[in-house]
Parts: sequence; structure tokens; C-alpha cells
Amino acid sequence: MVVVDSETATVLRVKGLLEFRCQLDGTDEQLVRNVISRTFETLRSQVKSESCVLAVSDSPVIIWPNKDAYATPEEITPSTLCEDMHQWIQADEQESSGKKSSKKKSKKSSVASVINLRLMTEVTKPGPLSAPILTKTVLKSHFVSVTLPLDCVVCTGRSDTIKDACEQLIEALTHQLCEMEKVTLQNMKGMTLLVPEPVHFLLPEPKGLVTVVYPVGVPDSQLVAQRKELHQQFELPDDRPYFRRANAYHFPNEPYKDGYLRNPHLALTHPTLDNGKVYLVQGIYSYHHYMQDRVDDNGWGCAYRSLQTICSWFQQQGYVELPVPTHKEIQQALVDVGDKQASFVGSRQWIGSIEVQAVLSHLLGLTSKILFVSQGAELASKGRELANHFLTEGTPVMIGGGVLAHTILGVAWSETTGQIRYLILDPHYTGAEDLQVITDKGWCGWKGPDFWDQTAYYNLCLPQRPKVI
Amino acid sequence: MGRGYIVQDDVEGYLSKLCEQKADPVTGLLIGQSSTQRDFVVMAIRTPQKEESAAAARNSVDKEWVTEHARQVSRMLPGGLSVVGVFIITNADAKDALTTLRQLLFAVENLISSEHLWDPADDDVTDCVTLHINPKTRKTVCRTFDIKDPKSVAKPADWKYQSGLCSSWATVSCSLNVDMLLPLPNNRTSTGNMEECLKEGLKAWAHQIESGLCLIDGKRLPEDSELTVGQRRNVRQTYTAQLLITTVRDENKRLTDVIEQCGGSVSVTGAIHSRAYLHSNKPKARLAEKLLKRDVVSTVATRVQMMLEELLASDQESKGKLFCLPHRIFCPLKVSGPLCVCDYQFSDEGLSEVTERLKEMLDIDAAEEDLDTRQEMTFEITGCDITPGGHRDMHACVLCPDCPPFCCLGVAMATAVALLATAASMLYLNDI
Repeated sequence: MVVVDSETATVLRVKGLLEFRCQLDGTDEQLVRNVISRTFETLRSQVKSESCVLAVSDSPVIIWPNKDAYATPEEITPSTLCEDMHQWIQADEQESSGKKSSKKKSKKSSVASVINLRLMTEVTKPGPLSAPILTKTVLKSHFVSVTLPLDCVVCTGRSDTIKDACEQLIEALTHQLCEMEKVTLQNMKGMTLLVPEPVHFLLPEPKGLVTVVYPVGVPDSQLVAQRKELHQQFELPDDRPYFRRANAYHFPNEPYKDGYLRNPHLALTHPTLDNGKVYLVQGIYSYHHYMQDRVDDNGWGCAYRSLQTICSWFQQQGYVELPVPTHKEIQQALVDVGDKQASFVGSRQWIGSIEVQAVLSHLLGLTSKILFVSQGAELASKGRELANHFLTEGTPVMIGGGVLAHTILGVAWSETTGQIRYLILDPHYTGAEDLQVITDKGWCGWKGPDFWDQTAYYNLCLPQRPKVI
Repeated sequence: MGRGYIVQDDVEGYLSKLCEQKADPVTGLLIGQSSTQRDFVVMAIRTPQKEESAAAARNSVDKEWVTEHARQVSRMLPGGLSVVGVFIITNADAKDALTTLRQLLFAVENLISSEHLWDPADDDVTDCVTLHINPKTRKTVCRTFDIKDPKSVAKPADWKYQSGLCSSWATVSCSLNVDMLLPLPNNRTSTGNMEECLKEGLKAWAHQIESGLCLIDGKRLPEDSELTVGQRRNVRQTYTAQLLITTVRDENKRLTDVIEQCGGSVSVTGAIHSRAYLHSNKPKARLAEKLLKRDVVSTVATRVQMMLEELLASDQESKGKLFCLPHRIFCPLKVSGPLCVCDYQFSDEGLSEVTERLKEMLDIDAAEEDLDTRQEMTFEITGCDITPGGHRDMHACVLCPDCPPFCCLGVAMATAVALLATAASMLYLNDI
């Protein structure tokens, strides 16, 4: 388990598949455990052997970590700095054959960059070697065949060399195989075996990136004991989840398969107010807005979209497994609780904060607080309440009033001057998932108190975080 | 514009000699390498005489015999060399000869490609050549057919002799470890079933090799870069390749199919020497990689196939056995240049059997001293102390139930000892 902190310059992530194969010539539990352990030991030796190879993705660089970090091309030596490897990585479809001719990438100061490596095996060796043998065993027995998905992360500092990195990577890989062995043996029941799978989690500073091995197919609900142990081990509060599968860290260079933008507000510069502080939504949400998913809800669906954004937050923080509901599913939920007639489903009727609260309760089992202001002008005085909400709950807020609904992702508020700004995510956007357009044109942006209709009344739905791990 | 075949001049002499023979027709194979730009023929091999054939039968073409010969020859060709065509020497009418040649060509090529464990590549040349020589007039008619197209018609092609054709061909080689462990099905574990399992296992392994990274002389070269730099005639260009593979996830395998019942297992472990030859006309790195990988796959598949054929022939139904696969021996061709053909020698055979096969199958006169046996080492088991039946029969290294397990071993390699330790621990679990 490794830590990423402000000293980290580069994160190295090695992924690979290792074949785990063995024959169990009996069903005696101890024998089975011995064979499994022995096979894991064989894999550990493989990782520590000279035939273990790390190939840097999108580049011609290949490193033999157990041969004193010998690498090809020859310009790379064991004392090359890890962060210099970026020069060799081609981000797009160019031929990955040589150094990039352009200048070194300018790194964002606080975000460590990730270099991906593939774990491979060299099957060639200098000869002559012994010709092959075919061995046949005839015995009614069991055969184990699993593909283990190895996935390790190592954080390197500015002065770390390839050689340093290799030592750390090999250690991480062998350690992960030990963890996998533990999890496999723990979850063996008779002649069934669960595949161990590593998941990465980003814990709050200074703990950083941590990797946990979970058995595939076992739902979060059955892993409470493991999570309790992890919370204790890392001294984490026991009322919010950090280790559910949905909390898994999403690496910056991995695209999201569903195509939605995540946290567009991170691309903004936050306002600075005199004696003011910025209070933001915590965690990850997806931006839902008009016209997505081939649903033409232009003019009536804004509250639905805000609700979808909220649901996406709860899903991605691991509180619920339910996927983000469609307009029809939202409407059906309201019919099911008796709030609407059956004819509501399939209609283009608006909903408000109360309906949002009802759906969050019925579909996701969540409670929400409702905040009412009789005039939009009063919102300017709700700085403290909103700041507190983002501090303790950190969930996105749906605000509906008059004819419009929006999502509030944060406030900038000064306790002394009372100045206030609202970070708004606007569901009325009808364009494509273009971060540049969305931030430039203010579809996600900071607004002043005059953004609200000063005379209209507003209801805010503030979803509450369940106190679970 | 038709294809142009550049042919080693020795072939002219060989074909001439065949013309002087009384037999008619004489068929045979043409060996070489085809590229998009040009085609090369380095060798011609007459179809061997079938011993029991009646005098009448000798005057007709036995299609099955020709194809079987082609299949055997194909096994004896290292990477880069393949059967690129067929020839016939006959006084018969040109049209009849062409029809016969067409039939032979398609039969031969279809049989050979059906045994390949790899998928054809987009840049493979699918044209093959037929050559008809009239023994009296020595007139040669050269045509090509596209064997991918069953309706293909004959296209004219050039046939030109050249000396020293292969002198500056390049050789890419490597020694490669194989390590396969496969379950046997839960029913009868006959040799037939073992064959099925091995074929499936080999296919999966071949896929791994095909998708692997190839380094040439320690470098990962861009696919279109040319291999030979500063080409000079009569200079041997040799390259060492390295292959890096990764496990390919079987998408069809469900996560629940982790442990299955089996009737045993079969494993293939050890190393092979692989080699591919590249023509001298600016070959690309992509070609070197393709030809070498194909040789790696076919040399392992060939040996396993040969072992299975041996087992079927001698009808070995056994419980726990260890078999030494035949090892690869190279024989240089008389033409100047690096080209060699190869053969596989079982541990109980002597080199004389190898030279006999080279003569019979490839019509090559080789002396035992010419053979290169140093590329692979035999896995040696030197006799047992306690041998009630005096088991010195090394053929298939069969360990019969009477023989106690591995009492003494004069084994060369440490890896082999480790292998034996594992094998021994699994072998004697049967009750006799």
C-alpha cells in the first residue's frame, strides 16, 4: 500500500494478467491450500525473475526490472529519472518509436501524472536450451485455471530513478500476489474459488492511494467486516464510505465509458472574497442536462436533470448501486408513492424540490432537508446554511423556484462581509459534452446573488448523506 | 503485369536432370518466399517414388501422395521458406498439364494452410506458381493462381534464373521457452482426447505468441522500417529476436468456471530454437516478426503432432508418462548463403535416420557432419539403476509402471531437474 503526497512527481501504474493454473489431485482441504499457495509462490518467482518485463504504454520503452533495470531504447539507463519518461510517451496515434520532438509537457503543479506500464513475460532466452517434454498425468482430479488481474500503483518522487521505481514495482507486485493468496484462501469453500481483484482508493491526505484486494462477485453488502477493518487501519471516520467498489479511484487518463462529464467545476477558477472561503461539493458527480440520452426534455426536464446529477453523486460515492434513473423511472416512482396519477408517466410535467425529495427517498432510500425562501433576495442570507451543508454533507443541492430548476455545487461566502457567490450547474444546456463550451459559456459557473429572481420563492432540496461505511 | 519469379540457378540444373529420367510424369514442389514485390524460388524437390506403386500407376499423378509429401516437406522448412508452387515434367499436352498442376496446387496449399495455427494476414501473398516443363523441348510454362480464390484463372508469370540468390538473405532467430499446462477431460483420457486438448491449448498459446511484442537485436523497431542496413553481398546478416508475451484474457470464460473437474492433465515444457529467413530485397521489420512468430508456432505444433502420431502408431495407452518431443536439427542447403532446412530427431534415433529422411523427403544429399545439432539440447535421462526389464528404450522415454521413479538422472540443465521434481510428484498417483 503506497502513499501519494505532494512530494510525488509521477505515479507508475503497472497492470497485467497472470495465469494461475494448477492441478488439485485431491479434495483434502490442507492439500488444496498447499497447492494453491505453491502456485502463488511460483507466480511470485516469475515476477522476480529475469523474464519479467515492464512495457511502458504508448512508448517504445521496455524495462527488465530484475536485470538491474536494463531498458531499451539505449538512451534509457537505470539512473534515468522517472519523470523523464514522459518524453517518450506519445499520447495519441503517432508512431511510438522515438522521443517527442516537442518540449516537455508542462505539468500541473498539484496533480501527479500517471505512467501506465504493462506486465509482460519474455519467453526467449539465449540458447541452446533443452528441447520440450510432454508430460501426461491421468487421474480424476480438479483443475484450477484463473487469470489474475494484477494492478499496482507506485508513487515516485522527483529524484527517483528507473532503478528505484523497478524495486518498488516488483515489491508492489509480489505484495499484491501475497494479498491475492490471502483473499483466495479466505474465500475458498470446498471446490469453489473466487477470483481476487485489486481496487484502488484515494484516501484523504496524507494517506493517498491505497490498493485493496477484493473477491470478485461478492457484493459490497457482504464485505462490511473488511471495510470496518480498513477504516480502523487507516483511521478513517466510520460514518462515510471510502472503500466501497464505487469509491474506486478513477485515474485521470482513463476515459469514462458512459460519456458523461465528471466534475466540470474543477476546471473553473474559484472566486476570492474578502475573508471568504469556498465550500464545494465533495466527491464525484456526472453532469446531466437537457437532450441527453436521446430524451428531448427541452423546456420541462430541468428538475429531472438536477435530480439525475444528485443520483449520480450517490452512486459514485458508493451509497447506492442503482443506476441513474430515467425520466420515466422518476415519474413512476412518484406514481408509486401516491404523489401523482398514473397518467403522469410519459408526460412532460415539471417537478419541484418536494418531488425530488420524494424520489430520493423512494428510489434511493435517502433523506433530504427542504429549505424554503419566500423571496429570491433572501438567498443571499443563506450563506451559512449552505456553507454548512457543503461542509458536513457535501452533496449537490437542487434548487427550484418560479419556472426554473438548477443545481448548486458550492458557495463562496464571507462570514464577515456577507458576500456570496453560488457555483451553479445548469441543466438547461442542450449541447454536447464539451468541457470548454460548458465552462466558457457559464453552464457550469459562479453566479452572484442577482442570478436569482429576487421576488420569486425558491425551494431547495438538500440531500443528506447516510451515516454508513 | 504478372508476377516475377527469381530462381536460384541450381534449380535449373536439378530440373534438367529430372528431365533426363525415364519417368513421365515427374511432379515436385517449389520452395521459396513470396513478397508483394517479387517472388523467390530457392529449391525444387521431386515427389518421392511410392514403393508399392504398380508400373501403370507410376505414369499418373497420385494427387494424395503429392499432397502428403508437401505436408511432410512443409514441416521441414524453417520460417520464411514455404511451398510456393508445384512443377510437372511431362510430354503431355500443355493444357492437360496445367489442369493437373492447378489441381495439385490447390490441394497442396489448402492442406498446408489448414494445419496452420495462425490466421492469414492481410499482407500475405496468396499467389502460387505452377511450372510445366516439357522434357524433350525443355520449354517451361510458368503460371500463377490465386489460391484464395477457387475460381482463379491462370496468369502468366516470369521465371528467371539467377546465381547467388540467397547469399545475402538475413536470418532472424531465437530460443524460446514453452510452458503449457492443460486439463484433460473427465472421461476417457485416450490419446485421441489428449490430441484435442493439445490442439486447443496450442491454439490459445499461438494467439499469445501472435499478439506478443517482438524485439530485434534488442530494439523495438517500427513495423515499416527496413531490416538490413548497409546491405553487402555475401555478408551474413543475422538478427536475434526477443518475444514478450502477455496473458490474453479468455472473454468466453465465465468467472465461475475457475475450478473444473478433470481426468488428469498434460503439460509441455521446454525450449525450442526458431528461425526465419528473409529475402534480400529490403525486407521490413514487420515481415521478420511475422515469419519468426509463425515458425515458433509451427515448430512446437509440428513436434507435438509428430509425438501424437508416434503414440497412436505404437498404441501407448498409459497412465503416467513422460515423453521427450523430438528436437530440431538444421541442415544447410548446398547453395551459398545462410539457408537451412530442418528435421526433427527423436531421442532414440541416430543421425543416419535424419540424413535418410533428408534424402527421401527433400532429395538432399547430406553427410552427418554437415548437420547442425547444436541449436537444441536433448533432454537426457541416463539409465535407471534398478531395471528389471533393462529399459534402455529411449523412444518416447516411456516410464513403465515397473520402473521406480527417477532414481538417477544425468540431467544437463537445472531447469530440467526442477521440471522432473514437479513431474515426479504428480506421476505416481495411480494405483497399479
